[in-house]
Amino acid sequence: MTVTTIALDCMGGDHGPAEAVAGAAQLSLDRPDLHTVLVGDAVVVGEVLDSLSYAPERLSVVHCDQWVEQGESPKTALANKPRASILMACGLVADGRADAVVTAGNTGAAILAAERKLGRIPGVRRTALAAVTPTELRHGPKEDPFALLLDVGCTLNASSRDLVTFAILGSAYASAISANPRPKVALLSNGAEPHKGPREVVEAHAILAGLMAIDFVGNVEGLDIPKGSADVVVTNGFLGNVVLKMIEGVGEVIADLASDAYARKYLWRLGLTMLSSGIKQIQAVMDWESYGGAPILGFTHPVIKAHGRSHARAIGNAVRVAAKAARSDMARTVERAVAQLPAEDA
Amino acid sequence: MRITPSSARHVYRWDLDKTYLDTDFESLRRLVLIAFEKPEEKVNVPGAPALLRELGREQEGKPPSRIAIVSGSPTQMRRTLEQKLELDGVRWDEFHLKPQWENLRRGRFRAVREQVGYKLPLLLESRTKIAPGVRETLFGDDAEVDAFVYSLYADVVSGRVDEAGMVDALKAAGAYGDAIGRCCKALHRVEPCDAVERIFIILDRRTPPAFFRSLGPRVVPIFNYFQAALVLYSDGHLDAEGVFAVTTAFLKGEGLAPGALANLFQDVVRRGHLAGTAMQDLGLAIQETAQGSALEDEAGVIWNCVQRFVDLGASRRFLPPAPPEGIDYRLILEGLKRDIEGHRAPA
Repeated sequence: MTVTTIALDCMGGDHGPAEAVAGAAQLSLDRPDLHTVLVGDAVVVGEVLDSLSYAPERLSVVHCDQWVEQGESPKTALANKPRASILMACGLVADGRADAVVTAGNTGAAILAAERKLGRIPGVRRTALAAVTPTELRHGPKEDPFALLLDVGCTLNASSRDLVTFAILGSAYASAISANPRPKVALLSNGAEPHKGPREVVEAHAILAGLMAIDFVGNVEGLDIPKGSADVVVTNGFLGNVVLKMIEGVGEVIADLASDAYARKYLWRLGLTMLSSGIKQIQAVMDWESYGGAPILGFTHPVIKAHGRSHARAIGNAVRVAAKAARSDMARTVERAVAQLPAEDA
Repeated sequence: MRITPSSARHVYRWDLDKTYLDTDFESLRRLVLIAFEKPEEKVNVPGAPALLRELGREQEGKPPSRIAIVSGSPTQMRRTLEQKLELDGVRWDEFHLKPQWENLRRGRFRAVREQVGYKLPLLLESRTKIAPGVRETLFGDDAEVDAFVYSLYADVVSGRVDEAGMVDALKAAGAYGDAIGRCCKALHRVEPCDAVERIFIILDRRTPPAFFRSLGPRVVPIFNYFQAALVLYSDGHLDAEGVFAVTTAFLKGEGLAPGALANLFQDVVRRGHLAGTAMQDLGLAIQETAQGSALEDEAGVIWNCVQRFVDLGASRRFLPPAPPEGIDYRLILEGLKRDIEGHRAPA
């Protein structure tokens, strides 16, 4: 049995080491093919671990006495904290002692630490943060109820070549995680026609249309994202972040409206109760904890950013996703595809 | 060859089910099947035969150790169990089984499941035959109340718990009057001394180690016998050869990778039961014997252990649970039962 080793930054999330360690402990009981390295204060991590059921042969601890808080400036924090947990976790991967990194901590610090310790895949200039968004249509052989949206915050201004690279990265990741050998990739624009959108989107469209490595299906509009007409939707970090937050906001507003309706009228309460099984299904699709975090794509090894508010289940799922990505040949697939791109103008 | 009680250097006391044998008696069906199993069909807890063989092995220049087995299995299984131990190449000097038929015949239904009133009299009666000052190491599991009964035994023999305290604990555990009487009688003949060195509890049910903190540093919860072998090496009970034998049982017999064993090493160091520096001697012994020999895999485990030790932060010292100031066994029994049943962390 091949064992995949995941370095888990235990100090970064909003809940501190408690949830990260609990997620890893449960995973150690469920998955004999995974070894999780808990990077954090060894005494604190140990105290949490000792109060749980776990399989010690599948867990180890790497002590660190520094970590980056959520509100800190990534650059300053990493400069002042050379033994920060996220740096040490990425260092373990760089040294060949782990295959992937998972963190629920400061996103900027994770990107910067990965940049320093791991480096990018040859040919990848900028990295992309990808997020899964719930969709109406199902995707891939496993009928996943979500699509991948990238970039959602790493690269605010992306060139046409960056967008093309993101398309390759997103395709490789979706293929590895969803067992979908040729995911449908689309560019986000304000119209389906190839000439619609800003210059970089039009140029990216032209390059992608001639690229055999991925299944490019053209442009999609905002309304196509929740419909799920593509498996992977590519945009720059600024627009991607706005779209992602809007989807999350709409979901929260609907939930608030439903609660309000439930409290206001007896008849509405009855109606909602009758719809409860359907609502539960929608909740399951919208449940971000089951998706296992957002990958930061473009580095030589998988880096998974779990939500800061992640509980044990979400952390466990993030580690599972990291292992799946680590076992795939993603970096090499991306490297080969990027090498096929036309030379860039100076 | 049996080792007489008076000539023993050390006594190793073992439970059998879930401690030595991987017995599944969670359902009535399994319970019935166990009764008909042949010796060769019985499955060991990984590493248990290797460790027990090594503990029983004669070491040059040292008097032999005594191995005593106290099992909750019925007396009718004696022949099968003895044959199983013989098959494993394990020797024993004392072997007690539970008179379950007798319990049923006399209508003592509580005694069928109750362990404290069964084991404590046997332990104390056995102790009366051991030379004063000889120390003991006990092995049990987390399926029953082994940690409790062994700790109570240790404190009764040392004098930390007096007769009244012992009787109180036995009553709380539901022991019958004759068992309490036997304990009192044996206690009067025991020379008080701090006899129990370690109590190893194998976490068959993956009970969180913190559940045993209230019993102090003497109780060492272990996830497998590789961890026990390391602690026993550190305590001077096993030599490097003994540790190799147990390590080999896990590497070759159970297919555990050197990295997984190193994780188990780190776990027991982190919980404060093993000084990481104790491994230096073992490392040196391996350097001399393992290079170029068949023990290279075992050497690989040790070097992985060194890495895991460094990972914990070189300057840190991990401490075992603090010794309890006074143990209220009645309270501990209630707590242990509740925690183990519910798998909840103690307050």
